[in-house]
Amino acid sequence: MNIFSFFKGGKAFYCLLFTGFLLSFSPSAARNSLRRSTSSFQQHLVQGTVSDGTSPLPGVTISLKGNSKAAVISDYNGQFSISAGLLDTLVVSYLGFKTNYIPIKSRTKIDIVLQYDTTTLQEVKVNAGYYSVKESERTGSIARITSKDIETQPVTNVLATMQGRMAGVSITQTTGVPGGGFDIKIRGQNSIRSDANAPLYIIDGVPYSSDPIGSYYTGTTFPGLVSPLNNINTESIESIEVLKDADATAIYGSRGANGVVLITTKKGKKGKTTYSFSTSTGAGKVTRFLKLMNTTEYLGVRRQAFINDGLTQYGASDYDVNGTWDQNRYTNWQKELLGGTSQISDFQGSVTGGSETTQFLLSGNFHRETTVFPAEFVYKKGGSQFSLNHRSADTKFKLIFSASYNIQDNDQPSFDLTNDARTLPPNAPALYDSNGNLNWENGTWDNPLANLESKLESSTNDFLSNVMLSYEIANGLVLKSSFGFTNLSTKETRIVPSTMGNPMYNPSSSSSGIFSNNTDRKSWIIEPQITWTFQSGRSRYEFLAGSTFQNQNTTKFYLMGIGFPSNSLIYNIAAAKTVQVLLNDETLYKYQAFFGRINYNWDKKYILNLTARRDGSSRFGPGNQFATFGAIGAAWLFSNEEYLKNSWLSLGKLRSSYGITGNDQIGDYQFLNTYTTSGAIYNGITGLKPTRLFNSDFGWETNKKFEIALETGFFNDRILFSAAYYQNTSSNQLVGIPLPGSTGFTVIQSNLDATVQNKGVEFTLSTLNFQVGSFSWKTNLNLTTTLNKLLSFPGLESSTYKQQYRIGQPLNIQLMYKFEGLNTQTGIYQFEDTNKDGVISSPNDKQTVVNFNPKFFGGIQNQVNYKGFSLDFLFQFVKQKNTSYPMGSGGMMSNLQERMLDSWLTPQQLGNYQQYTTGYNSDAVMGDYLFSQSTGSVVDASFIRLKNIAISYNLPLNLKDTKCRIILQGQNLLTFTKYEDGDPEFIAYGFLPPLKVITAGLQLTF
Amino acid sequence: MKSVYIISEKIICIASLVLAYSCNSFVEVELPKSQLTNTAVFEEFETADAAITDIYSSLRTRGILTGSGSGISNQLGNYADELISIEKPSNSSLFFYNNTLLPSNSQIALYWNTSYSQIYAANSIIEGVRKSSNLSNSQKNQLLAEAVFIRAILHFYLANLFGDVPYITVTDYKTNSTVRRTPVSKIYEFIIKDLSDAEPLLPANYDSSERVRPNKYSARAFLARVYLYNRSYSEASDSASAVINQSGLYELNMDLSKVFLIASSETIWQLQSGNAGTNTLEGSFFIFSSGPPSLVSLSSDLAESFSNGDMRRLNWIKPVGNSSATWYHANKYKEKNTTSSSKEYSILFRLAEMYLIRSEARAQQGDLIGAKEDLNKIRNRAGLPNSGAITKAEILNAIILERKWELFTEFGHRFFDLKRTGRLDTDLGYKIGWDTTDSLFPIPESELNTNPNLLPQNQGY
Repeated sequence: MNIFSFFKGGKAFYCLLFTGFLLSFSPSAARNSLRRSTSSFQQHLVQGTVSDGTSPLPGVTISLKGNSKAAVISDYNGQFSISAGLLDTLVVSYLGFKTNYIPIKSRTKIDIVLQYDTTTLQEVKVNAGYYSVKESERTGSIARITSKDIETQPVTNVLATMQGRMAGVSITQTTGVPGGGFDIKIRGQNSIRSDANAPLYIIDGVPYSSDPIGSYYTGTTFPGLVSPLNNINTESIESIEVLKDADATAIYGSRGANGVVLITTKKGKKGKTTYSFSTSTGAGKVTRFLKLMNTTEYLGVRRQAFINDGLTQYGASDYDVNGTWDQNRYTNWQKELLGGTSQISDFQGSVTGGSETTQFLLSGNFHRETTVFPAEFVYKKGGSQFSLNHRSADTKFKLIFSASYNIQDNDQPSFDLTNDARTLPPNAPALYDSNGNLNWENGTWDNPLANLESKLESSTNDFLSNVMLSYEIANGLVLKSSFGFTNLSTKETRIVPSTMGNPMYNPSSSSSGIFSNNTDRKSWIIEPQITWTFQSGRSRYEFLAGSTFQNQNTTKFYLMGIGFPSNSLIYNIAAAKTVQVLLNDETLYKYQAFFGRINYNWDKKYILNLTARRDGSSRFGPGNQFATFGAIGAAWLFSNEEYLKNSWLSLGKLRSSYGITGNDQIGDYQFLNTYTTSGAIYNGITGLKPTRLFNSDFGWETNKKFEIALETGFFNDRILFSAAYYQNTSSNQLVGIPLPGSTGFTVIQSNLDATVQNKGVEFTLSTLNFQVGSFSWKTNLNLTTTLNKLLSFPGLESSTYKQQYRIGQPLNIQLMYKFEGLNTQTGIYQFEDTNKDGVISSPNDKQTVVNFNPKFFGGIQNQVNYKGFSLDFLFQFVKQKNTSYPMGSGGMMSNLQERMLDSWLTPQQLGNYQQYTTGYNSDAVMGDYLFSQSTGSVVDASFIRLKNIAISYNLPLNLKDTKCRIILQGQNLLTFTKYEDGDPEFIAYGFLPPLKVITAGLQLTF
Repeated sequence: MKSVYIISEKIICIASLVLAYSCNSFVEVELPKSQLTNTAVFEEFETADAAITDIYSSLRTRGILTGSGSGISNQLGNYADELISIEKPSNSSLFFYNNTLLPSNSQIALYWNTSYSQIYAANSIIEGVRKSSNLSNSQKNQLLAEAVFIRAILHFYLANLFGDVPYITVTDYKTNSTVRRTPVSKIYEFIIKDLSDAEPLLPANYDSSERVRPNKYSARAFLARVYLYNRSYSEASDSASAVINQSGLYELNMDLSKVFLIASSETIWQLQSGNAGTNTLEGSFFIFSSGPPSLVSLSSDLAESFSNGDMRRLNWIKPVGNSSATWYHANKYKEKNTTSSSKEYSILFRLAEMYLIRSEARAQQGDLIGAKEDLNKIRNRAGLPNSGAITKAEILNAIILERKWELFTEFGHRFFDLKRTGRLDTDLGYKIGWDTTDSLFPIPESELNTNPNLLPQNQGY
């Protein structure tokens, strides 16, 4: 299998490999001349080796107490030498090990053995948004992944990096086309409105709107509107924290109901200037295809359908069976149209360094990815980040600045060929004629490749910056403010050129069209805050008060141009015969809040955390704009009680929280009764149309969250276990209530007196299975079980949701017909006639509840390290049901799953599936449709997937301060599932499934 | 501890500074520039006028009356016996052609939802105009009459496609979401009432030379059709006469190739094509220049049913062949693409239909001579001799045939004619998928799910 291709992105790879190779043979470069010149007559040279007891440790920082400037780093063999005074003390520190203080006592040779420090995990500072908290002392529920987890994954979307790695966070990819999206649900679906379950994203303190920037006119390649999250460069992320419970999210008030995703970017590190480059290249292919019929099987089905329908002659347009098309031709359309290999290449570089007071980081990246479609389409993404940290010498003043600029350039077919690949008859004609032109077979088919003429070109520029200034006015009293600014601009075009059409019909460029979407979003945020920390005896107090002013302005400008003098002018909308402005809109979202936090910590044993926020949002009508949210959280660190100290229990914490958060994801201006320009011109007048059914009275949706959790660590945290139970209740649901079409609209914004409960249990287990010498093996497991339930819904029976929900059932149910097998006499599917009226019809017979919520999901991650080798792999698992892929009733001019060969023929020759029809048999067409809406189509879509595997090896370079690492990464490599209809992750009709990807890369740091 | 208090005071001071800066008005926003408040729209004639013309462009591009492939000119042509659908998974016409519509068919839901959203827009104008304090009476009358006219025509098609449907006259969603079905007979009463209200308020002359907004006679022409469908023959005949008698305004176009041009003197009401140079959606959908056609073609049975010498076959139907076969397409609208200036608009009412309505109404009332006179007017124009029909039944048969030839692929006339004269089963029974219950479309499943008051579903679904 030709997985690796070094044709394009490979050049950089070879280059670096070569450099690394050369360097490893150059002993002169290893000499540290600087070190020798700094030795002075008052000092002497101390030499030695650092090890963990069995093998040497490279990269350990050795400095002198009270003089961190004179630091050196151990080389690959663990050796170091440092000049020091006779009475100095060495400070030996290395991540993951206990810091060692070693008085020199006039020695010149000191061998140092470092102790693994497993308890540092408890000391890790976790970002909670407006404040950070020690892992051991947090009262809220926060899941976290760091750059270490992200670096092993060949993915470009920030949500993809979290998939399978966080308890309580369910993430689903929605298309395999690059630049597409992911769905995220943190602790289940809270809102009945499916598009109101997005979490709040915050990058370095700046809210990042995930509202779509795509348009339905242009982004037809994707199942939904394109979200801006693809702009975030995953390589620049230091950590992602997901805030889940009330204690963690209530400080985000109205926007915290669905959880908060905090993204912290990498910052500069003090010390000598370090350069780092990495490059990788690889390939991707579709994970799984459907098992479809071949030509003989398919034609057999077709012919049988004609017999079944009593038709003695094939119709003039039944080209597949009537002899017009070659009856012996076979094309595996899935392979032909989706079987390509996506070429992936990635390059990154960064430089970081700085002094004790000022550090910087500058990094850049470039990513290129082609598609599996049979034509050259490229997704490109590049960007740069800059970060600067400064503090004054007295450490009172601090400044953190970060800015990033990312560019995406996506060139895709505007049409996903997946549906064609699955439905085209296997004996459909060749794609190209003998001259290499698109083959139209005398107009008897629509060549699917013609669709590739219609292209989506999208480019997005995203600028994001943030400054945080803080000043310590008095001891423990800090005044700070953050200033954030984002500017996102998207330009998308979709062309529909006449060359898509069959040349027989003489399509001319006068019918060619172009759609364009220019969307810009600017936002600023200012968040002045004041914090005060003071210790009194065993009590420690932390106070935080602040306010938020946020303004977000979105402008959208959609154009359509039709009729060009020539197709070569199609991108010049000025050349279009008719140009129409489809939308010219500007929306403003303003948001204001006050928030505060009081944290009390008694002797690191009892912790109380109070948070509150008062929010105002322009999305609500006068009188409904403000609301107050808050939470209380408490933790008891019983492992710090005297009687448990120094026992096998290294961490024992019981924590609980309760609070209220809100949700304002309803879109802007929904409370106004307005007319909108429709863009359509009639008789010289541009039309105005009613914008929506209006309701000025809707208000905040509230979400009450309760959580109780136990966190434990054993044997110096070699085993860490946590269990959390949560129960969230959303009420006063803000929804677009579906309306019958007779109202003129299909929805209205309103608060619904319905209550939805999400509860579940989340487990995480992290074990250090082996730790022998330089060999270590760690396992992380996360498991989430969820239960979603509609608790109450007054008037459900008479409401428009009658056919969607059931009290006591999850939101993610479907009411279906009850499948009763095949009628052996007629050969048509049968269903339960629930109301016994003799007809199977909706809604009365469509009453069987099927739950499509995942029962449980999670991931198991293993990390194995041995000397320079490390292996990291993650299995993701989901237990869920889904429907089989609907392919239409067998016998029409459309391919089918191979398993449908087993169909009913006569009352004597039964089968699993109903009789075929060419489309004339109304009962069979109806039967097939009802089947797709029945329990018969529900199948097990659970899967276990080798989500990610990464193998890396540190080249044993004979060089100080230079590291070279070779990395092999794989994504979605193996999938175990009973699901027969392709990839089990999602079944969105006709969209490309996720890809499996293998990349090889090299990292060089010096 | 004293320092603690001093610090607390500092905090309170600074905090109040920060907090005092904020005020509620921060979160109030202006209207977005693409929107106008409801009241403002009806304070000026120009904006109120833009609200009504928007419904016309919506009628042209969406829903039942659009000339595109999703409108009834195509779909009912397939559903009855005028058109042939090519089998192809992408062809939404196949379900119509095979008469295998399901309640979940998205096209059906679109007919329903789009029509009612257009009706909502009309009702919103009626309510807005009535409340307006700024518009003059004559402006109010014109807007009201046009809105009522639109409301009536949409309900007319809904009732003929779906049977008993709600007749919606208000915008209040609470009322409209639990509404019940109005019997067809009642719907006809409402339509007649609406049209009779609108007619006197509409101007006799068109506001421009293009006849793209209904005038008084558009309402009369529509009334003539409604009365005919409702078997009120004398009213149908009177209304048709009222239009026919406006000889200064309307005149049969003797050159058949010019009947569907913008300036045709026989046009009573047509939908303008939007941007300059654009022609009809019918033209761009039906016309193909080489075979086989990509989606639909005119049934060869229809093409071959014309009598020898019928000029309509020459002028309005075009054969397209290749070495092995010949196909036909409707060629009433002759422009597939844009032209330097628009040549054709989509015609909803034209004079020929008025003659055929009066002919049928007269025959039904026993005025066989008058009936034949009108019938022959249409036949002669097509280059055919006078009809040989003698008895009432023969004449009525001849009229239905004449309507088939005259009005094919125009907004489902053929299907409605067969339906109102009880001929569906005899004329369409040859189709394998045809069932008696196919005379009505299914009520969209989504509609029954959200408004159970509309139950039961139409027979057969």
